[in-house]
Amino acid sequence: MQTIDITLTVNDQQQTLPVKSNDTLLEVIRDYLDLTGSKEGCGEGVCGSCTVLLDGHPVRACLTLALEADGCAVTTVEGLADEDTLSPLQQSFIDHGAVQCGFCTPGMLISAKALLDENPSPDRQKLRQALSGNICRCTGYAKIVDAVAHAARPESGCPDCHTKDSGGDHD
Amino acid sequence: MRLPQFTYHSPDTLEGVLALLDEHRDNAGVLAGGTDLLVRMKHRLAVPKVLVSLKHLDTLSYIKETSEMVSIGAKTPIIDVIRSNRVQQQAPALGQACERIGAVSIQHFRGTIGGNILQDNRCIHYNQSQFHRTGRQPCHKDGGKICYAREEADRCNSTCQSDGAAALMALGAQLNLCSSKGERQVSLDAFYTTDGIHPFDMQPDELLTRIDIPIVPGAVSVYQRLSFRSAIDYPIVCAGVRLVPDPDDAGCIKSARIVVGAMGRSPLFLAKVSQSLAGKRFDDIAAVAQAGKDAMNTAAAFAAHNAGAALPYRQAMVETMVIRALELAAAQASMKIAR
Repeated sequence: MQTIDITLTVNDQQQTLPVKSNDTLLEVIRDYLDLTGSKEGCGEGVCGSCTVLLDGHPVRACLTLALEADGCAVTTVEGLADEDTLSPLQQSFIDHGAVQCGFCTPGMLISAKALLDENPSPDRQKLRQALSGNICRCTGYAKIVDAVAHAARPESGCPDCHTKDSGGDHD
Repeated sequence: MRLPQFTYHSPDTLEGVLALLDEHRDNAGVLAGGTDLLVRMKHRLAVPKVLVSLKHLDTLSYIKETSEMVSIGAKTPIIDVIRSNRVQQQAPALGQACERIGAVSIQHFRGTIGGNILQDNRCIHYNQSQFHRTGRQPCHKDGGKICYAREEADRCNSTCQSDGAAALMALGAQLNLCSSKGERQVSLDAFYTTDGIHPFDMQPDELLTRIDIPIVPGAVSVYQRLSFRSAIDYPIVCAGVRLVPDPDDAGCIKSARIVVGAMGRSPLFLAKVSQSLAGKRFDDIAAVAQAGKDAMNTAAAFAAHNAGAALPYRQAMVETMVIRALELAAAQASMKIAR
């Protein structure tokens, strides 16, 4: 079986790893690096729970070969917090009750981070579009959208979050 | 789900890729974004012994414009097509189609326009896990002699569910295919074999390198699609149209191209229906309604019950998609006149 060394910068730490040709990026992150925040849900690119940032762009780690990520910077959900201090986005998820079973949360956070990095104040339509590749089966979309909207505009205050058009976020 | 084993190559040059494809032919798979191929590999629907990655071929990622055409490199990421001003101005239908492909975090950054055109035909009975498929006799596409989509069918009835292909066919696009023996151009209209198992008229040693979209002065184009969810899902019906105004009378249609997608083994260019609109006015509601009906009647026969929704529903929705697309295109045309 072919084994090739690749260099990944995972959450700002550069690592060189021997990987098999058929390892996916998700398998490397979870099994080799023990970063088990990113989840394998469907394994075929539908559910979004394995979403990570590859050079700043959201991609499905389960559909990215580890070899294809050679030389890239990877950000997983573990890379969002600053040691024990959660990022404003993570804190907003907690404050808004946007986490139920939590399986989709790492992917939701990463997709939301990718959006906010590019567009710090998206409208709700853009926000929902950016999260449209992530599935939550606990029916938490309204609160997740609220949480990201609040993280984008903390000054807008929370009372607004739960009333404005949150009824339309069902999938 | 583990991927099957394979040998991985990532040549630095186009010649290197073509040499590998020539050497390994049917045993080779081309890896661009991987959002279609890797899923099929996980399901063991494709088990290439060799994967040839296009990772280093950045020369195939570009969008250029000349006075005659917009050329898009096959490895251009979907997101670049969506954000391209050239595409928005000269081929809006393609931009609209690309926006609807998958979801931002699935296809838009990894997925490529070439990969979208060459995504394999799909069928709800075929695109299932290996475990699911072992519970029944294999279908035509899986190496057997049964079609679960259409009773007693003697051939595969898989469906081409590419958004990009339907839009590009409406735009009259041409594909540039390269092999170690040379290159050739083929129009998208002539690119399909109507064989659901091998839907593309393409040799195993060939690589799609470029898509050329002709620029027609004054033309307007629109893409419309229907799917269960607004993201992630493949279309269950879609339509792409391009209308060219008469240079002497801008309110009049000189020529039309109507393409219905996700209804057959390839996108369906409806030549007769398209022709029926030539000479009609953009605001001729009766002609548009008739074109919608004719499109439905023509396309209905090609579809099999294999895309999730009930077949009669999909067939009925062809009319809606075509009429919507034509109405939006007419509105675009009248805006152009107003300017």
